[in-house]
Amino acid sequence: MSEIEKIRVELTVNGKHHVLYVSPCKTLLEVLREDLNLIGTKRGCDDSNCGVCTVLVNGQAIKSCTMLIPLANGCDITTIEGLEREGGLHPLQQAFIDRFAVQCGYCTPAMILTAKAILDENPNASEEEIRDGLHGNLCRCTGYTKIMEAILDVRDGKYKESCGEV
Amino acid sequence: MRFEKYFEPASIKECCELLVEYGKDAKLLAGGTDLVPKMKAEVLAPKAVISLHKIPGLETYKLCDKGVTIGALMPLRKLSLCEDLNKWPALKAAAGHVSSMQIRNQATLGGNACNASPSADAVEGLMVYDAIVNIAGPNGDREVEIADFFKGPGKTDLKEGEFVVSFFVPAPEEGTGAAYRKFAIRGDTDISIVGAGARLLLKDGKIADARITLASVAPTPMRAVKTEEFLIGKTPDEETAKAAGKIARDEAKPISDPRASAWYRKDIVEVEVYHAILDAAAAVK
Repeated sequence: MSEIEKIRVELTVNGKHHVLYVSPCKTLLEVLREDLNLIGTKRGCDDSNCGVCTVLVNGQAIKSCTMLIPLANGCDITTIEGLEREGGLHPLQQAFIDRFAVQCGYCTPAMILTAKAILDENPNASEEEIRDGLHGNLCRCTGYTKIMEAILDVRDGKYKESCGEV
Repeated sequence: MRFEKYFEPASIKECCELLVEYGKDAKLLAGGTDLVPKMKAEVLAPKAVISLHKIPGLETYKLCDKGVTIGALMPLRKLSLCEDLNKWPALKAAAGHVSSMQIRNQATLGGNACNASPSADAVEGLMVYDAIVNIAGPNGDREVEIADFFKGPGKTDLKEGEFVVSFFVPAPEEGTGAAYRKFAIRGDTDISIVGAGARLLLKDGKIADARITLASVAPTPMRAVKTEEFLIGKTPDEETAKAAGKIARDEAKPISDPRASAWYRKDIVEVEVYHAILDAAAAVK
């Protein structure tokens, strides 16, 4: 099989503009981890079941292991590395620490980004709506209760003063 | 995962030409949520991947007096939340039951149909409304009724060089109610054990027209025609819904697979069709 011609891809990742020449056979996950060294985004099942590769593309949560890189061309991408602001943690990051919603930590970046997508779209999302939104994210430590508590704390405004808006 | 060629045709004509050139060696890329895992698992190993995303207009919908035309690249989640499509609640619900939020953001209506899985869900939502599949090809455009589009698991009516451009979904008549229900062990992220759609047209309190569609209980998405015939002229009450559920149970032709055995699926068809009919009747405005 002959080597495929590389394509030009423009991405804005966490506010930084990149122009890359990559194989179109790559997924967004592979480009983030291998070409941009953003290893906060994890590879789990690699077939879009577990959700640990979730990132935000134009504000929408997607599974980056299943998005071919050409489809991300021109998009605005947020990974877990992009949530910190002025050296401070994002409210969801702080809440996950405070509520001990992290055990092994492997699912955490995706949980936080998915929660951000849910709350960005609907800041008053009900517990059921949040659970529904998180349906595609697995935590093998099964720490779902703590994860929900952390997200509900942020929804209820407990981090407004220390961290600003979600 | 490797392929040799990647194309982004800018027009329908260009896309058809590429499909003719590469034939069975080509796969179309819509959302990629089925294609990419299948390429990784080497279930599919196309030489060429052809993206539809540079063809203008495929991601949008257009309302008219007679209904709505929905582009093949409309993401399922956008469809499930679209307020302009409130006339078609069963389609919105069915699209909203496909997998997780992330997958619904990526996956498209056209991909859901062309994958031709009997457990597609969104497709059974289209069937509730007798949608038409708009196909482009090297010899011009053609239309196929959605119920005739599926020829077997993973098999569609598409001929060489053809692809799905959009779906036309007729506007339901006044007095129509519709619903779609999905039954799966782990909720929407799981593949349906049974999906059941219903559309009822009521005139003077009686059912004047009915559609019952079923997911995951036959080699293709199916219409329960005998159940539909039974419903005509009946009052949409519990007794009718119960009897209809029993007929649908007999019509369903499920297989046993790791998710559920055939007898269990039949049991669930009876229950879900019963509820779908009552939900549809309650939704009549």
